[in-house]
Amino acid sequence: MTVRVEDGVATEVEPNFDSAQIHPAAGRVCVKAYGLIQKAYNPHRILTPMKRTNAKKGRDQDPGFVAISWDEALDSIAGRLKEIRQDGVRDSSGFPRLAASFGGGGTPTAYMGAFPAFLSAWGPVDLSFGSGQGVKCTHSEHLYGELWHRAFTVAPDTPLSEYLIYFGANTEASGGVCGVSRHAKARSRGTKRVQIEPHLSITGACSEEWVPIKPKTDSAFMFAMIHVLLHEKERDRLDLPFLTRRTTSPYLVGPEGYFLRHPASRKPLVWDTVTATAVPFDTAGAEPALEGTFEMPEAFELGADGEEWPRQGQQGRTSFSLLVDHVKDNTPEWAAQICDVPVETIRRITGEYLDHARVGETIEIEGRILPFRPVAIMLGKTVNNGWGGFDCCWARTLMACLIGGLEVPGGTLGTTVRLNRPATSRQASVKGNLDGIMDFPMNPTDKDNWVSRPKTRNAYSTLVPLVANSPWSQALGPTQLAWMMQMGENGAGLEHLPKPTRPDIWFVYRTNPVISYWDTEKISGVLEHFPMTVCFAYTRDETNHMADILLPDCMDLESLQLLRIGGTKYIEQFWKYQGFALRQPAIEAPGETRDMTWIASELAKRSGLLQGFNEALNKGAAGIPLRTDDYDFSLSPDSAHSVEEIWHASCRAASHELTDGEDSQGLDYYKEHGFRVKPFAHLNWYLYPTFEDQDLRFEMPYQERLTRHGKELANRLHEAGINWWDRQLEEYEPLPVLGDYPALWERALEDNFDVDIKDFPFWLITSRSMQYSWGNNAGLQVIRELAKNVAGHGGVVMNAGRATELGLADGDLVEVASPLAATRGRVILRQGIRPDTLLMIGQFDHWATPLAKTFEAPSMNKLVPMLMDLTDSTGSGSDLVKVSITRLDGAP
Amino acid sequence: MTRWAMVADLRLCVGCQTCTAACKHANATNPAVQWRKVLDLEVGEFPDVGRVFVPVGCMHCADPPCMHVCPSTATRQRDDGIVTIDYDLCIGCAYCAVACPYQARFKVDKPGPAYGRDGVMRNEIQRQQPDRFGVAQKCTFCADKIDSGLASGLTPGLDPAATPACVNSCIANALHFGDRDDPHGNVSRLLAENRHFRMHEELATDSGFYYLWEKALNGNGTDPKMAAASRGVGGVGAAAAPGCWPRPPWQRCLARRSGPSP
Repeated sequence: MTVRVEDGVATEVEPNFDSAQIHPAAGRVCVKAYGLIQKAYNPHRILTPMKRTNAKKGRDQDPGFVAISWDEALDSIAGRLKEIRQDGVRDSSGFPRLAASFGGGGTPTAYMGAFPAFLSAWGPVDLSFGSGQGVKCTHSEHLYGELWHRAFTVAPDTPLSEYLIYFGANTEASGGVCGVSRHAKARSRGTKRVQIEPHLSITGACSEEWVPIKPKTDSAFMFAMIHVLLHEKERDRLDLPFLTRRTTSPYLVGPEGYFLRHPASRKPLVWDTVTATAVPFDTAGAEPALEGTFEMPEAFELGADGEEWPRQGQQGRTSFSLLVDHVKDNTPEWAAQICDVPVETIRRITGEYLDHARVGETIEIEGRILPFRPVAIMLGKTVNNGWGGFDCCWARTLMACLIGGLEVPGGTLGTTVRLNRPATSRQASVKGNLDGIMDFPMNPTDKDNWVSRPKTRNAYSTLVPLVANSPWSQALGPTQLAWMMQMGENGAGLEHLPKPTRPDIWFVYRTNPVISYWDTEKISGVLEHFPMTVCFAYTRDETNHMADILLPDCMDLESLQLLRIGGTKYIEQFWKYQGFALRQPAIEAPGETRDMTWIASELAKRSGLLQGFNEALNKGAAGIPLRTDDYDFSLSPDSAHSVEEIWHASCRAASHELTDGEDSQGLDYYKEHGFRVKPFAHLNWYLYPTFEDQDLRFEMPYQERLTRHGKELANRLHEAGINWWDRQLEEYEPLPVLGDYPALWERALEDNFDVDIKDFPFWLITSRSMQYSWGNNAGLQVIRELAKNVAGHGGVVMNAGRATELGLADGDLVEVASPLAATRGRVILRQGIRPDTLLMIGQFDHWATPLAKTFEAPSMNKLVPMLMDLTDSTGSGSDLVKVSITRLDGAP
Repeated sequence: MTRWAMVADLRLCVGCQTCTAACKHANATNPAVQWRKVLDLEVGEFPDVGRVFVPVGCMHCADPPCMHVCPSTATRQRDDGIVTIDYDLCIGCAYCAVACPYQARFKVDKPGPAYGRDGVMRNEIQRQQPDRFGVAQKCTFCADKIDSGLASGLTPGLDPAATPACVNSCIANALHFGDRDDPHGNVSRLLAENRHFRMHEELATDSGFYYLWEKALNGNGTDPKMAAASRGVGGVGAAAAPGCWPRPPWQRCLARRSGPSP
């Protein structure tokens, strides 16, 4: 974007028209960006560091913040850091004594300048105290996606798509300008999208068909689709070559449920139809059988902890045959009752999916012939997280495989990797293993290497093999465990885990967990007892109400940072270019606000970490290494460097990277041009070429590896006396076993709150707002004004017919209560929502954030409990709860 | 003769209000004044429900009701179709606001900072529009950009510097702007290729704002673009022709009112 500045005042945001040729949305910016001028000049902005003078913390306590100088603020933080460091960076429980929490989905790194270098210099940091990431995001999809096709998030190949099925994915709200732009172009071309969700979202509005499915029954719908594809359509309409060569469908399974393996090579066996024998899967010239039961010669199964079962003359079935069997009862008739969707709709949509898959067709991309399959199924959060998330992610990925549409043009693609390395290339992160599938850096579950004593408060590497151990993994662990452990009596914690100590110091950046997490009243209570909380503060808010020190950092129009752009990432960013963009100050920093990079280097300097800080920058902590074998723009380790020096070095490294060393222009170049890119191959949108080149298979449908890890994890946990993760262990199945998820939710609430769930007859769901994003701009007047034009904001959306039955009129004040808590707001009567469902858009219920606290807008977060019963094996949950509704007063 | 017109493709608009915001930036309008905004309309009854987003604002009618009622001649019309307000002549009677069937006109009597008594912001001070208090105001089709753009040899609707801010900002590419009287221009092309309507056509305002809602069909009732798509993309194997998708509820509503495809 560009900003117009008159007499030193920012006046107008505009698209960056210079980037129109390289940006997927022609340089245009989202509505939220137009709030940045008000964000800069908001009279409620905190403009000096502040310290708390009232030692008591609580919602009802006035913090007594008084203005202090930067010297006092930084010295008091650095002083504490030095004290902490003297006693060791880990406490008696082995947890990091410094904790840090950032906001939404990885985006804060594009704003926090050199702060990651400070954290790196410090040492171990606990990222467990999440504000929603790891549990309320597309969490299960992150993990399973990376496992199956290096897809931290999953997107359709929209520019080539013809038919899309969206289970609740709200791309028009969450997909950014690239998502909106791509889908608008797709609609222009005639692409059809079917939106299957309980309410008619803005994405549903822009779709050709809306199917009002009952909440959390999406897995049943998808299993019925799989049933139709496997039991009601001719087999040769599926992509049999893809299934046979590019998936583990032909792999034979033995009586214990593991692959039957060749004794000498230990490779999984397939039945070769040419020689009528069982052979290792990669035998040259073999034509594996996709279906069937065959008698095995010598073979063995490999179970958990090295347990082996020798097999001789036993029968093996192909994974594909097991799959066909697995879904034989999941008919559309069965699903229709569960989902409250007509039988014909389920069948028709499945038929349309198959009709548009163009099985057998090819397309040329940059000189390479690839399969062309212009169909995809996308999942929203609440569908792809929590219980049932595994089923849905598996079903969607499987259905892509059935028509050969995984990681091919037109089909189902991954965007980026955060758990696998290198982070810069999905393709480079692909390495085959002995079983012909992709290697994956599972957290170890074997006896020798299992992390029996968790290193962070969410125990991610102990409990979740699939979350791996990259720098991101920790933040993706079961973050509600970190909070829950603090909430037990005296922070009693979970049995056999280290005592859940409080962090000695907690940094909070661009996040407000007291609003954005679940059971927000209890979160607030936990924070009252944190000994030292340092919040980077924009305005007063509900989380920094509990802070000891507020540090006012520069906002978007005032700060300097070089960031990577392009390639593929986020929700639907697929570029044909990659490179860097510079965010540079358009205006002078207001008041005493300071650039994050300055704050980070001051903290490093004053706490004696300057060398480590500079070395971290040199290694790439600010986005690009300053020193490699090819160039050296490194910062001298012992000096303090200015903000401009640091980014000048980064710019030079960026220029070197982009020009293959031909030039290394620095900050001035980027200040003038704004961005610099080089081409990014279109072929790199797809993983299929890499699979072809390495002759690899997608690990579908049979989850043999995951099952083995699950059994090993069970062994480890039970050896340690841990039984409270048993429910989660049941999810480790080779083929997902469908649960009755609505009933599961109801039972969890009944069991934990001793209520009769019939008193809570409505499902409460939430939905993204494009205007409000995750809520950091809730205090901006213009955003409120714009959002008011979009139906549903600020109230409780309810089906008009149902409301009338209950005597509710539009605008009535109601209380919406879950077994945990209650919130209130005004009903908004709509046709586009199921009669059994209520909706609250976004995250509100503010009581401290200026302006936002006057909205009286309800929020579901307060109503949703953090329960082990509602945590899946990946550690995630869902924004879903059962509620009652009571009229309090008439419309004003 | 030039006749500037706006085109909004209802199949593309996502109701994001980016155009609403861009207009506010370009024109420094007061809080709650939205020269351009997008309506969020629901059609039908559960479960057969549609939802459509409709950008609105001054339609720059060829026969503007506002101009007819203006007692001071403040409201006029340029030869190129843009309806203008001379703030110096306007007496603030607001008859025009009542007469306008599109609710496109506003009157702000005194400055109302966005944060009220909590403080005036620097950008509000910098961009005060004192000549706009107590008089009628509305969308201008960013006339000053059009005029200065034309003077520099730019093409409104094509070159961003000569194009209304709302059109420039639209992330779904739903808004278009151009000379309706240019037979080879973008507006003529869009109107030829798509079924379209104008709001309150029955009031005969000859509005300058067109809404696209469906592709114009071939003589044999097929959508030419869909037919092309169904022939496949250089591939092997016959694909099932997608044909025309069934219309979503909001399109059915428009179809009922518009009658069969011409």
